Parts: sequence; C-alpha cells; structure tokens
Amino acid sequence: MILLTITTFFGRMHPLVVHLPIGFLVLAALLDWASYWPNYKNVQAAVPLALLAGAISAVVACVLGWLLSTTGDYAPILLDKHKYSGIALAGVALVLYALTTPAFVRYVALPRKVFSVAFVVVLGLMSYVGHQGGSLTHGSDYLSLATLTKTERPKPTRIEQAFIFEDIVQPLLEKRCVQCHRAGKLKGNLRLETHGDLLEGGKHGPVVVAGNLTKSELYRRITLDPAHKEFMPTDGKTPLTKTEITLIKWWIEKAAAAGTIKLTEVKGYQNVQPIVASVLGFAGPTGGIVAEEGNRSRPVNPDIPPSGDTAQITVVRREGFVVRIMNYQPLMLDVTLPPKAGKSGVNLSVLKPLARHIIWLNLSDLNLTDGQLSIVATFSNLEKLRVEKNPISNEALKSISGLTHLHALNIYRTKITPTGLETLKHMKQLENLYVWQTGITASDVKKVFGDSTSIRVAY
Amino acid sequence: MEQHHDDEFRVNTPDFARLNEKLDRRRFLTKTTLGLGALAAGTLFGGQRLFGGAAAKAPDELNEDTQEAILRALPHFAPRAKRVVYMFMSGGPSQFETFDYKPKLANMFGQQLPDSVRKGQRLTGMSANQSSLPIAPSVYNFSQYGKSNTWVSELLPHTAKVVDELCIIKSLYTEQINHDPAITFFQTGNQLPGRPSIGSWVSYGLGSDNENLPTFISMISKNGNGQPLYSRLWGSGFLPTRHEGVQFRSGKDPVLFLNNPEGYDGADRQEMLTYLKQLNELQQSGFGDPEIENRMAQYEMAYRMQTSVPEVMSVAGEPDEVFDLYGPDSRDPGTYAANCLLARKLLEKDVKFVQLYHQGWDQHGGLPGGIKNQCKNVDQATAALVTDLKRTGLLEDTLVIWGGEFGRTVYSQGKLTKDNYGRDHHPRCFTMWMAGAGVKAGISYGETDDFSYNITKNPVHVHDFQATLLHLLGIDHERLTFKSQGRRFRLTDVQGKVVHDLLS
Repeated sequence: MILLTITTFFGRMHPLVVHLPIGFLVLAALLDWASYWPNYKNVQAAVPLALLAGAISAVVACVLGWLLSTTGDYAPILLDKHKYSGIALAGVALVLYALTTPAFVRYVALPRKVFSVAFVVVLGLMSYVGHQGGSLTHGSDYLSLATLTKTERPKPTRIEQAFIFEDIVQPLLEKRCVQCHRAGKLKGNLRLETHGDLLEGGKHGPVVVAGNLTKSELYRRITLDPAHKEFMPTDGKTPLTKTEITLIKWWIEKAAAAGTIKLTEVKGYQNVQPIVASVLGFAGPTGGIVAEEGNRSRPVNPDIPPSGDTAQITVVRREGFVVRIMNYQPLMLDVTLPPKAGKSGVNLSVLKPLARHIIWLNLSDLNLTDGQLSIVATFSNLEKLRVEKNPISNEALKSISGLTHLHALNIYRTKITPTGLETLKHMKQLENLYVWQTGITASDVKKVFGDSTSIRVAY
Repeated sequence: MEQHHDDEFRVNTPDFARLNEKLDRRRFLTKTTLGLGALAAGTLFGGQRLFGGAAAKAPDELNEDTQEAILRALPHFAPRAKRVVYMFMSGGPSQFETFDYKPKLANMFGQQLPDSVRKGQRLTGMSANQSSLPIAPSVYNFSQYGKSNTWVSELLPHTAKVVDELCIIKSLYTEQINHDPAITFFQTGNQLPGRPSIGSWVSYGLGSDNENLPTFISMISKNGNGQPLYSRLWGSGFLPTRHEGVQFRSGKDPVLFLNNPEGYDGADRQEMLTYLKQLNELQQSGFGDPEIENRMAQYEMAYRMQTSVPEVMSVAGEPDEVFDLYGPDSRDPGTYAANCLLARKLLEKDVKFVQLYHQGWDQHGGLPGGIKNQCKNVDQATAALVTDLKRTGLLEDTLVIWGGEFGRTVYSQGKLTKDNYGRDHHPRCFTMWMAGAGVKAGISYGETDDFSYNITKNPVHVHDFQATLLHLLGIDHERLTFKSQGRRFRLTDVQGKVVHDLLS
C-alpha cells in the first residue's frame, strides 16, 4: 500500500522532470552547433556533459512517466507511442553521449558533422515525444491542425434552419457521450464526434443503422436498464433524458440517421417540433418541455434552479443544520435545525445562499421569534414548512404568505390565532394545515378559505 | 489520570509487533527504495505488470466504485416520505375479522368451499387432511366509518375512527404459506434467510438524519406468544453491519448498560474510545476488513446513544392526555402501546425506520376469542399513533404501515361451530394498510372474491409493496443494488412494480 502511494507521488513528478532532458538536450545541440563559429569554438568541450545530463534526466523522466502511466486512465495507443518514443529518445541520448567518451572515440571516431546532424534527429524525436505527451494530458485535439482550422457552427435561430444531426443530435452526443468516445480516449474503440464516426462505429461495428432501431447499437445501449452492464453512459454518469432518447430515436427511425439534412426536410417533423424547439431554446419558459414521466406523481416546480452551490451545504451543516439532499437535479434540499443544535442562538441567515433550493424546512422547537422567521419569505420554493412549538404570533405569517409553492404548514403549539389565518387567505395551493394547540379549528379555516376549501386541517 | 494514551503504540504481542513493523521508518524506506529500483529496471526491461495492482484495478476495488456510484445517485428522485414506521403483525391476522368484509358468507355457514374457488391449491399440512373445508363467516359485525364509508370490523373501533387517513390494500398476496419464510420474504424480499431487511436497505441507501440515534430501530411487544421472531428479520444481511436494525428491548430499559457501572464516573470514556479507535484503525490499515470500520462506527454510535437514548426514551414528560390517547397499556413499558408511543418519539427525532413487531396473530383454532384479544392489544395504540402523528404534523412526511405476513383461509381449520372456529394460513390474498406521506388517504385498493380467497382486482405482490415503499422514500427499487458473492442483489429481487394508484 505504501509502495503504491509513493509511486503515484513520484509519477506525478513526470511532467516536471521531463523538462530537464528537453533543456539539456537543446543546450547540447546549441553548444555543438555554436562551436562551428570561431568565437564559440571552445564550448564544444561542454557538449558531452550536457548530453550526459540530458540522457540521465531522460532516463529518470522515463521511469517517472512509467509510474504515472500505471495510475492514470490514458488512451493506450497514444500512451504506447509516447512511451516507446520517450524510451528511444533516452536511448539515443545515451548512445550519443557514449560516442563522445574517450573509450569509444578510440574505436569509432565519428566525423564531427555526422555527430552534429544526429542532434537534428534528437530534437525531432524530442518534439514528437513532447507532442504525444501533451496530447495525452490535454487531449489530442489540444494542439492540432484540425483545431486550428475548425469553425464553430452558428446556432440556428429558427426551426427551418436547424439541421437534424448537426444541431440536435450531435450536441446531445457531445454532452453525454463524447467525453469518453473521442479521439485520445476511444472507449470501446468508438468515437462519436462526427456523423462519420457513428457510421464507422467501434469494435462492434456501426452504432447507428438507418431506419433500424433494433440494429442501432447506440440506441440499444442508451435504452437498456440502467443496472445493465452494457448500459450507456456507464459508471453512473448522467443517463440521457427521455426527451433526448426520443430525439435520437426519431432521428434514426424517421430521418434515416442521416447527416446534413434539415429537420424540415424530414416527413412528419411536426411530431418532434415542440421537443426540438425546447431543446434549441425557441420555446417559452414552459412551452414544449416534455416532462420526465414515471418518477414523480407531482410535477417538479420549474422555479427551482437546476444546480446550486453545494459547497454551501457543508457550510450550513457546520452550523448544526441537518441538510438532506432530496433531489440532485434540480437541487432540492430538506433542511432541519434540531433543537439545541445551534451553539450560540439560531442563525438562519447562513441558509441564504441555498434559499431557492430549500423545499422542506423544519424549524420546530427553537424558541424562534417573529423577526427571526422573516428570512423564510426568501425561501420562495418551500413546499413544506414546520415552525411548530415556537412562540411565534400572527405577525410571523406575513413572512409565510408570499410562499407560492407552500402546501404543508405546521404551526401547532404557536401563538397564532384564528384571525391570523386571514394573512394566508390567498394561498389557494395550501393542502395541509397543522394547527393543534392553537385554538384554530376546521371551521375557522373554512371561514377564511371558504366552505369549499380542500385544505385538510389537523388539530 | 493524565492522557497516558497519547504515546505511540509499543505493544508486545506478536500481532501488534507485526503491525508496528509495517509502519516503521526503516521498513518504509527499504520498501520504497527497493521499489523504485525495481521500477526503473521494470521500465527498461519492459516488465509492464511488475505491480499489476497499480495498472489494473482489482475486482474488489471496481466493485466498490460501482457501489459508491450507486449511493452517490441516491435519492433517485424527490422523496415523499422521510421516515417509516412499520407495525408488523406477526402470525398472519385474519382479513375476515378486520377489514375484508364478506357479507355473502353469512348465508354459507358450514357449506363446503367450492372447488371452483380453491382451484386445487395446495394447503398446509395442518388442514390438507381435513375431510371437509366448511366456510366460516366472521362472527364479528362490520360497519361503515368515516367520510370514505369504509367497512371496518367491530374489533377495531379506534382504527375505525382514523379510517379516513388509511390507504387499505385488500389485495396483497405472497408466495409463502408458512410463517418464517413468509415473514422473511416480507422483510427481506426473499424467503431464505441472509438478505438485508427493508430498514437496512433504507439505512444503506439514504443514511441517517440523526447521527445520535440508529437509523433503523426495531421493537417487539413484550410477552409475545406464538410464532417466534428472529433478529435476522431486522438484520443487514450482506450489507455493512452498521445498517442492521438496533433492537430496543421491551421493558423499562430499552437499551442496557447506558448508565455507567458503579464506581466508574465515565470521565475517561472518550479517551478510552479514542484509544480503541486508534487500535482499530491500526488493525484496519493492516487487514483492510470493512467490518472493523463498522465496529468503530458502532462504538461511536453507542457512545452517543448514552446521552440520546435516555432523553428520547423517557416518557416521564408526556402529559396524561397522551397516555389516555394510547390507552392504559402505554404506561406499562414493553407493551405494544408503549412501543407505539416510543415510536412516535423516535420519529420525532428523525429516526428513519422504526419497526414494531406484535406476535400472536396465528389463530388456527379458537379464532374469535384470540383475535378479539389481539385487536384489543393493538387497536387503540395503532390508531393513537396515526392520530398523534397527524396532529403533530409528522404524518406529512412519515409513512405508516400495518400488516402481517399473509392472510387466513375462509374455511375453518378444525371444528366449526356457531361461535368458534379456526383459520389456516392463506397467501393468496390478505389486507394491510398504509397511511401518511405520499399515499392516498381514505381509500381501499384491490378487491377479492366473495370468499376472500382469490384476488379479483388490482393484485399487489409483496415485491410491489416493497417497490412502492422505496419509491415513496425517493428510491428506484431497481437501482438500489448491492453486489455480494458475484451478483447484484436488490430488495425486490427481479420483480416488483411501484403501485402508482396508491400514491397521492
């Protein structure tokens, strides 16, 4: 175990150490070439030393590089190229150095010009090794001619302009698949960067077959049971949504998995038009969004921001709050402050950064005052609120009355009175009201909300 | 006493000596330098897999990664329920005398059960050899209660009062006809022992909301008779043992040895535990046994429970009105009623899964007398728990479940008389109910035939029930898995469908 840790540690020094042979070998070449000028004639004597330093540091870099390669997940082909050319470079440097030692010079006296030309080979090889190494860390498209000449597709602004593959399917693949299926990573020997890549396929052949869903490996993989070991995206990465799958299905089936055709050229495009519109962002805030079925019997409140600053959760927990993540996307939180948890009084303002993510909130039995509760008004997406067993009065309801998503409110054993309910009168979305030990009864609720109210009152 | 445990370990037993050796400086240097030399040689001579463990992940490690990924994804969607209280009626309560009202049977007293109903079903050894299978109508009357006009037996007057809160499922069915396999099936999703209990799955999947109390607590009514219960019913199976249900004893001291023994003031308990933890960590780094981690977690939990348990388990502060609500038994520690009250207190503290067991529902003979007594023992407290959870608002996010492992037969086992009969085990249909978070209130779901023998509408399998329970907690039952002995397991095995009709 110790050995493993230390290998990783040293392995990570590889990117640092590789610059030593680069420097030394370039220096050796410069010294050698410069010595042709009379002014620098005597620097030639330093060439063997620079070469030796370059060769030794190259060997060290090789060892460290090998250590690094065992710990990371690198593309094997690229890695092999880098590894063997790196070892070759170290070897060439060693041989060159050996040729300068007196022992060798006695047997093989290499003409000086041949020796100088050999440096061109060294530098060339070094550039190659370096480039491969760079591609390994940064991805092979980091520094390539293709990247230099690539242009970004303008986003279509009208549905008539949209190309089915380039504007709709490709961005989906880009988002969900390309992270692993790209040049340099090539999981399953498959790239999914261009239309051609899909047709070329991976180790099991093409991944899409025009008009044939059952033969389209890509479709099969993304629609498997997520527990299946062939399911994609694998390793718990976010699966494609129903909308995304629908689009890919439609593209393979109806659009014959073709590239460079416009959406409107495909027959029956109207069927997917609303989904496409929402994916491309033409639709209004709610228009066209296809709800994720099955998981929730109630629709998710669209006002909840999809993601939040999760670092804040740690901050809030440190203050004694129990924060339960109810959902990841959108980020929904259930926050409880257990009685006596706060070290020095109750400080609710720390919840501020997470305000719109708090869906359930339990602030019961904290000896809260009306004023302390005013922050609740900013928790605009609250669905369940527990403020029972606090000495709060009707005044506190003012902080609650603006919560448009609130459907369960627990105010039992508070100082709230029947007249206080008037403040909540407009809250038609309320479903459950817990008012035990306040003196409020069902008939009080009916008086305020009308006889036909569906609010369930517990007392 | 000063903190003399701050020194480094120098223990003279062979085991610890070996452990110490593993960590000493000389070994470290020897190992690493040798290692580097070997690595250099390895590179030069192309020995790629000198340290194979580093290059390719060991299968165990991969398994752990998947396991972590599964846990990271939880909950799979926004939950409706935050806690569960499951009142398990062990023995198989008769549906005929409780919720499944069968008025037509009244005119069929003593008639043979038609073969067209039984369809050749294999019976248990207890009634298979009976020369006749005479129909036994319930001796108890039914009335309609609540706004939902639900039929409830006269044996359950208190439950009848809260019937508008209940979601009664009359069409459950199981695959097991004998007690132990049937209970094991209900609690773990498989009839054979060895799988984790529902509560353990929930604890494993969702973790704790109150680190001072166990996530999963079970309690058994005292003086239980009839079919035995085993601790494996709340066991963690192949899941890490810290997810095992912690059984609170039925009696005055629910957890033993919370108080310090005589002559010991407990002042250095923390130090002792810290030292013990160090020892355990040393073992852990040497042997890598995950159960050592579990043991450490349990020691720490036990330490925290010294303060948290007396507080939560003391009913001294409860007003008389609460004891009146739960019934006179609630003052007698260890009874079902007292356990129900404790359950409310635990739920109040956000304990995630509380499981109560009440034995003695196995009336093969003398059913009218037996079930009357059983109902009397549980009816008031069960209804009180629902009422109490409702008025305090906990019902908003607590799921309440009541039910046994199977139902009972329409025919009498043994001699049928006007006022006495018995009923054998019946897995093909039985009744249980849920209430609270996320389930529809005041409905009855599923229907059985006139003999309450076969299901005629909306059958709900045990796995469907389990899938629905997990769904309410935000868990997709197909995605909460654990790999053990080369196979991924889940609570619902390869079956189970969420019963969306039950969800509000």
